[in-house]
Amino acid sequence: MATTVSTPSLSRDAAPSKRRSGVGRAIVLYVILTLAGIFFAFPLFWTISSSLQTWQELRSYEPHLLPSVPQWQNYAQVFNSVPFARWLVNSFTIVLITIPGTILTATMTAYAFARFNFFGKNVWFVLMLSTMMIPAIVTFIPQYLLFFNLKLVDTYVPLTVGAWLGGSAFMIFLLRQFIMSIPRDLDEAATIDGAGPMRILWQVLVPLMKPALVTVAILQFLADWNDFFGPFIYINTMLKYTAAVGLRTFQFMGLESADPRDHLLMAGAAIMTIPVLALFAVAQRYFVSGVVLSGLKL
Amino acid sequence: MKTGGAGVRRRISPQQKRQNLYGYLFMTPWLLGFFGLFVGPGLYSLYLSFTKYDVLSTPEFIGLKNYVEMFTNDDLFWPSLGRTAYYAILSVPLSVIGSMFLAIFLNNKLRGITIYRTLFFMPSLVPLVASVILFKWLLNTDFGIVNQGLRSIGMQNPPGWFGDSDWAIPTLVLLRLWGALGGTQMIIFLAGLQGIPTELYDAAKVDGANSWQTTRHVTIPLLTPTIFFNTVLGIIGAMQTFAAAFIATEGGPGFATWFFALHIWKQAFDYFNMGYASALAWFFAILIVVLTLIQMRLSRRMVFYYGE
Repeated sequence: MATTVSTPSLSRDAAPSKRRSGVGRAIVLYVILTLAGIFFAFPLFWTISSSLQTWQELRSYEPHLLPSVPQWQNYAQVFNSVPFARWLVNSFTIVLITIPGTILTATMTAYAFARFNFFGKNVWFVLMLSTMMIPAIVTFIPQYLLFFNLKLVDTYVPLTVGAWLGGSAFMIFLLRQFIMSIPRDLDEAATIDGAGPMRILWQVLVPLMKPALVTVAILQFLADWNDFFGPFIYINTMLKYTAAVGLRTFQFMGLESADPRDHLLMAGAAIMTIPVLALFAVAQRYFVSGVVLSGLKL
Repeated sequence: MKTGGAGVRRRISPQQKRQNLYGYLFMTPWLLGFFGLFVGPGLYSLYLSFTKYDVLSTPEFIGLKNYVEMFTNDDLFWPSLGRTAYYAILSVPLSVIGSMFLAIFLNNKLRGITIYRTLFFMPSLVPLVASVILFKWLLNTDFGIVNQGLRSIGMQNPPGWFGDSDWAIPTLVLLRLWGALGGTQMIIFLAGLQGIPTELYDAAKVDGANSWQTTRHVTIPLLTPTIFFNTVLGIIGAMQTFAAAFIATEGGPGFATWFFALHIWKQAFDYFNMGYASALAWFFAILIVVLTLIQMRLSRRMVFYYGE
């Protein structure tokens, strides 16, 4: 539809009264942004607040926005009633295996696509992008059968091997875009100095790719930390659960006391979310510029 | 940028050999994954889709029976496809348009804007399991703070949310919007906005355009590639959605959130009809690819690329 940019030429007399509308506009913007902010923030606030209340407080008919006395022991109780610490360690273990894998292999693949003119490159590139279209469930079933026959069910191999084999198409694409934005002159200068492709990648390009690599690391962290179906189907032993599967199981597990456990579930949800928020707080600047600088325009 | 080089293809020059060698060398891990985890399993599932297979015995070839079965004899096939479409139609436009406007608002130079940006982004970081548990509690029919609030302002019968078969899908959409509006999609819009040349805004200002006119006639047309990108990915994602439905309601109440992907999942991992589930999965993959190709076709008329 919009094939041309038509800048509307308005009549001249619309020009004055610009100052006033500037302030008015800012106020309108703040109102909109604040309303949206409440929508986004309230559930987060409520997670924390209800995780610090007693279940009697939560299950009363008049709402308590804040706990009358913060029940910090709710958090201790989560760790005492289920092996939550163990589940968190398991999630961290998986992430520590996958992040280096994606960083290494997705970068290599992106480098091939960005800098070499090899035979069949465009075909491979289209094939790689089209893997994004295929629903995960299509490959999930045969992959499960594969790992089942290899006796690798109930290990972390099925959950981590993909990251060491290129990671995801989206990450490769992101990194390729980023490499393409780095001037080739740098590669050429390094070649003249006698550097081979390996050294160019690790010593010239990778140091410049920090925002993109941090972005990929965050995306990988999020993908594994939040993944539910992978560990749900592959892991059978409760002590090997990840935090995501553990938290869900916690809803239905038999505990010593038959009291409602909403407050404990909220504490569990908060515990699981804190590492992600902390990571993001540290890496935020890189993340945004990683996406922006990659020039994600298709 | 490609400069010439088309005619020099005849005999493979040593330079070209080097390009081939290094290209494939660096791609090796991905190629292994592509064939080992994608093409191989994909072909195996295509084979399985023509068989009856329950994991315990060997696959038994039954021709097209699974495909006939799904169209003629599966009571959940069409309804689950319909529910998936309903979810996609409700969630994709709302989330794409919503995050576009959020990005446009956030692209203003205002004091404290980064605080808002972080605030909007945070929900997208909350793990799905955590956010489902949170929303189930937030929207609990009796004790949830939302319904308590609605009752206190005089609403006699607040919605049943996850517990009500009419509300279950809109509730999942709400959960999705909370988690997605300010997330990566919005960051991609912000990136798109920053790619719009400032001279166009200056020109609009000289012409006396107000901010809505500028948004309507400059910003949105130039964002169409980003809108397109987010819509395509949004539809692919929405079609496949079932994790939230699985965790929140296991497809209920009364099959109300029994999405197509969940149907495949249940067939495979609850009933161990691996052959039938593979057939469903292949039908689903083809459906999504066709939908995506149609969108790409349409995009030629709808998407505007500045400077091309």
